[in-house]
Amino acid sequence: MSTRPDGPLLAREEQQLVEALLAGNEEAVRTLYARYARPIFTLGLRLLGSAEAAEELTQDVFVAAWRKAARFDPSRGRLSTWLMTIAHNLAVDRLRRETGATRPQLVLVDEVPEVIGADEDEPMIERDAAIRALETLSDAEKGLLARAYFGGFTAREIAEADGTPLGTVKTRLRTALIKVRRANQDKERP
Amino acid sequence: MTCLEVRELLAELAVDTITTEDRKEVERHLQWCAGCRKEASDLGQAAAILAYSLTPASVPQGLNERVVDRVRRVAGGSGTPRRARTAAAAIVAAIVAVASLGWGAVMAGRADRFADRAEQAERDRARALERFQVVLSQVIPGEEISSNEGARLGQLAPAAGGTGGAAVLQLVSPTMLDFVIVIANGLSDDPDRLPYRVQLSNDAGQVLRAGRIAELDSDGGAEVFRQFQTQPLTGYSTVTLLDAAGEVVLTGTVDQTP
Repeated sequence: MSTRPDGPLLAREEQQLVEALLAGNEEAVRTLYARYARPIFTLGLRLLGSAEAAEELTQDVFVAAWRKAARFDPSRGRLSTWLMTIAHNLAVDRLRRETGATRPQLVLVDEVPEVIGADEDEPMIERDAAIRALETLSDAEKGLLARAYFGGFTAREIAEADGTPLGTVKTRLRTALIKVRRANQDKERP
Repeated sequence: MTCLEVRELLAELAVDTITTEDRKEVERHLQWCAGCRKEASDLGQAAAILAYSLTPASVPQGLNERVVDRVRRVAGGSGTPRRARTAAAAIVAAIVAVASLGWGAVMAGRADRFADRAEQAERDRARALERFQVVLSQVIPGEEISSNEGARLGQLAPAAGGTGGAAVLQLVSPTMLDFVIVIANGLSDDPDRLPYRVQLSNDAGQVLRAGRIAELDSDGGAEVFRQFQTQPLTGYSTVTLLDAAGEVVLTGTVDQTP
């Protein structure tokens, strides 16, 4: 199992990684871990609030990836986004199951420090791309996405809190996501 | 739900704030509506990008090994002959590639899809075999399904009044260990029905256990893989998925003609 050590994987390399995973290749799990464990753990930490819960989530994500590898469809997105979607789904399910109405701590995107620590010298190309994509949003759009994605607030709750019509909140949420997607697609084009 | 109603909910689906009831309705719609599925995919990818904007946290030491250990336990440990695994890997890889060519829609379908579109499924299966051959040739140059690899495809339809669906592939070969894969979807998560069992049977009524499904994902889906160390699968063309009470949930046969 060999992939380039840095930079996003090519679609062909992602396919090879998934194939190796399906073949029961333990090295594929290690490769997957090396590339994606950190953002998954980070998301878990932000959503679940403790290192212990984030570690459990990280383990659950890799087990789920192992089990569901046959369902990965490259025509529907990158491996990185597939894994992050699994992570977010599992975290939200866990929050709903365990804490009922309790919300994860809100993390506003524009509060995220831009400086990466000295021990964090590994390539963070996905993060750079994500930040660039978010720069295309207004502060209001960033805040809206953060409340929904990191805070778990429904459109209805946001509408009630802000005194904004529900339809408007839904439209703004969709518009903000489309802007992020387009900005990221532009980045992916040669 | 109409496309208009579904699209109003796709952003909330992408950020996981959609209600359980709406999620079920939307996902049902997405199974047959390619346009809405494309938009759902785009919005879902956008949402996943958000996760990468966070300042990376330090991962606990040793987590790597703990993850590998956990996966190893789930996978049931090692010990399978490498040769057999490699062959199976090629076939599974081919399935994944076939899925990316379009057969995935069949495998991901739910009960109504299987039941309502039986005729179409037959045509799809023939086309899937053709595609399967194309992909298999890329994975193992010169390999012919008809000569060496007994790749048999099949679909399981729900029993009367039931839900769910499944796709099956058997690999039967004189030189490699035989192998079966069942990918199920849309099964009930009623705790009384779990665990599900998958079994293969032949015309003489002999039954082989192919696997057990103890938990389902959010789509009511699960996969069962099993290699048969000594038992050839020739003739075991009937595949049945039963619930904990022994009630037949899904049943069907794999195509016996290579």
